[in-house]
Amino acid sequence: MIEVEQLRKQYGDFTAVHDVSFNARAGEIFGLLGPNGAGKTTTIGCISSLLAPTSGRIRVMGHDVVSDGVAARRSIGVVPQEIALYDDLSAHENLAYWGGAQGLRGSKLHDRIREVLELTGLVDRAKEPIKQFSGGMKRRLNFACGIVHEPKVLLLDEPTVGVDPQSRVRLLELVREQARAGTCVLYTTHYMEEAESLCDRLGIIDHGNLIAQGTLKELRSMLGERDVLRLTGAFHPDRVREALASVDGVEIIHADEALLSLAMSDASHRLPLIFGALNGAEVRGTTLTQPSLESLFIKLTGTDLRE
Amino acid sequence: MRFAWISAWKDLLRLRREPVTLLTWIAIPSFIAVVTTLVFGPGGAQPHGTLLIADNDHGIGATMLGNAFGQGSLGKMFTVEKTSAQEGRRKLDQGEASALLVIPAGFTASFVSSKPVAIQMVRNPAQRILPEIAEEALATMLDRASSMQAGAPLIQLEATVIPDKTEQPGGFAAILLPGALFMGVFFIAGALAADVWRERTSGALRRVATTPASLGAFLVGKLIASALVFSVIGAAGLLAAQRLMNLRVANFPAAVLWIAASGCGLYLAMMLLQSAASSERVATLLTNFVTLPLVMLGGGFFPFEWMPRPLASIGQWTPNGWCVMRLRAVLAGTLEPSAYGVMAALLAVAWLASIRNIRRFAC
Ligand SMILES: Nc1ncnc2c1ncn2[C@@H]1O[C@H](COP(=O)(O)OP(=O)(O)OP(=O)(O)O)[C@@H](O)[C@H]1O
Ligand SMILES: [Mg+2]
Repeated sequence: MIEVEQLRKQYGDFTAVHDVSFNARAGEIFGLLGPNGAGKTTTIGCISSLLAPTSGRIRVMGHDVVSDGVAARRSIGVVPQEIALYDDLSAHENLAYWGGAQGLRGSKLHDRIREVLELTGLVDRAKEPIKQFSGGMKRRLNFACGIVHEPKVLLLDEPTVGVDPQSRVRLLELVREQARAGTCVLYTTHYMEEAESLCDRLGIIDHGNLIAQGTLKELRSMLGERDVLRLTGAFHPDRVREALASVDGVEIIHADEALLSLAMSDASHRLPLIFGALNGAEVRGTTLTQPSLESLFIKLTGTDLRE
Repeated sequence: MRFAWISAWKDLLRLRREPVTLLTWIAIPSFIAVVTTLVFGPGGAQPHGTLLIADNDHGIGATMLGNAFGQGSLGKMFTVEKTSAQEGRRKLDQGEASALLVIPAGFTASFVSSKPVAIQMVRNPAQRILPEIAEEALATMLDRASSMQAGAPLIQLEATVIPDKTEQPGGFAAILLPGALFMGVFFIAGALAADVWRERTSGALRRVATTPASLGAFLVGKLIASALVFSVIGAAGLLAAQRLMNLRVANFPAAVLWIAASGCGLYLAMMLLQSAASSERVATLLTNFVTLPLVMLGGGFFPFEWMPRPLASIGQWTPNGWCVMRLRAVLAGTLEPSAYGVMAALLAVAWLASIRNIRRFAC
């Protein structure tokens, strides 16, 4: 359980996180989606009591992270954005160290190290210094060190950056497994597809503001469940606007000489109508996309997530 | 507290994997100490060597000259050995003596009749100090002798020795070694402290801060590991000096303890300094800026006795100089117990300051 209430974090005059509130429940993957510099890492830093909030309240498993930090940290596992490991130690030694830091010891520690090495597919390379690891292997170990003590709350800060598609699928599956086992997972990312496929609920964060949150379905409905139809070719924007004004329920998102973006519900059934109205225009390509986080993001922030 | 041991284990393991830095910093002071020892000879408390005299004169003048080297402070430094010129050259070539004095036939006769006469001295090029002393002494003797030629026939030769820097209680090793040892300790403290920058850059330090373990214990772990490193280096340095330089150690465990404690203090000081820097590069620069002058002033390259007096009195109050002076007292068995209390208090203050500092530094 993570409860964040009106969290604000300022660096001098600059506000990195601006009155953010959300809850994440046990067994749930809560995603924080936002572009570079949105305040994702800062939020995770405050939850893991690495950074002191300027104002607001955070509780983890009922423990206030400021007044009861040690108890809160006991239930937290963090997978930082950077590869926070000891390069000259082996995978096994890293796990032993970070497990030990979390209070694991003896045979319990030993068993858990073996388990997570197996989970992350690093058993064969467990004894060599990790400076010889590939980036993807280090990422997997970074993840393993965050879950070695079976935390009730798992904070993942862009854990798949720089990981090949295969390893990414595997890592995401590991995250799902954690949630299925009852862990409360907070997952930050700037990959739309990841957030869409992985998270039960999502918050969209930009410039330190949480601009929308809810399930994927709830967020989609904010777009009015409309599809986006993109037409490429040669157009006269003014003539197009005139022609489409007569078609009911079609909104022009964008129109220029080469590209036309239209939002409407049930687009596939209305294609003939659209083409009829555009009579005379030269259409070369058609793409139909269902409402996605990307379109939502553009709608909410006015910018593309991958600027 | 368990985490302190785990952290110490982690640091030692990492040091073992990358011993090169450490070895480099041990090598420099060892090299300087070895060179100094070679120059001064392994005689310990005083440089000591053999002066060969090839007497082709067999007269009274030559005998007196030979005797002069066998007396007083010169006598303590030189064993005078009579030999032939040829045999003397051979011994010198093999490094078995410091200098060879060849007294020509007819030396006494020439001396008495005030004729010019040349005495040949051959120096061992591999040694520096002793041959110098021998030559200087001989020159003085001949000066005196010449000035007396006209007057009284009975010549009392008197040797003036160049001021001997080794005539300190406890001897040469006791004044050279502590400074040299602390040069190594200082370098290593800086190198060990630099590791916090690596831990910060990798994010490991931040990760520690997100665990329930305390940063205080994390620092204690670092101190345990550092103390062990300094103990091993201190013990090895003392043992080597005992064997090679006849160093007297009044209380071996106390000396090792003092070195380890001082090392930890310097380590914490260097860590505070480095974590105040804005980047790793600045931290390295800052460390070098601070280390070299302090090592120099603190008796690392030359003992305080060899420094101009004002510099030496400043040097003895540098952090490492202060520790060096007290190590010398430990070696002589004269350190007041209160010094241990002062050291413990300094360590505690530095540790508390470091905890506050490392939390800020981590984020
Ligand atoms: N120590 C700091 N001092 C000043 N500003 C900071 C500090 N740390 C972060 N910021 C600023 O706070 C904002 C949020 O940063 P944060 O690292 O939380 O972003 P993020 O969402 O994690 O971005 P990314 O996807 O690039 O990791 C950024 O504008 C950043 O420059
Ligand atoms: Mg980030």
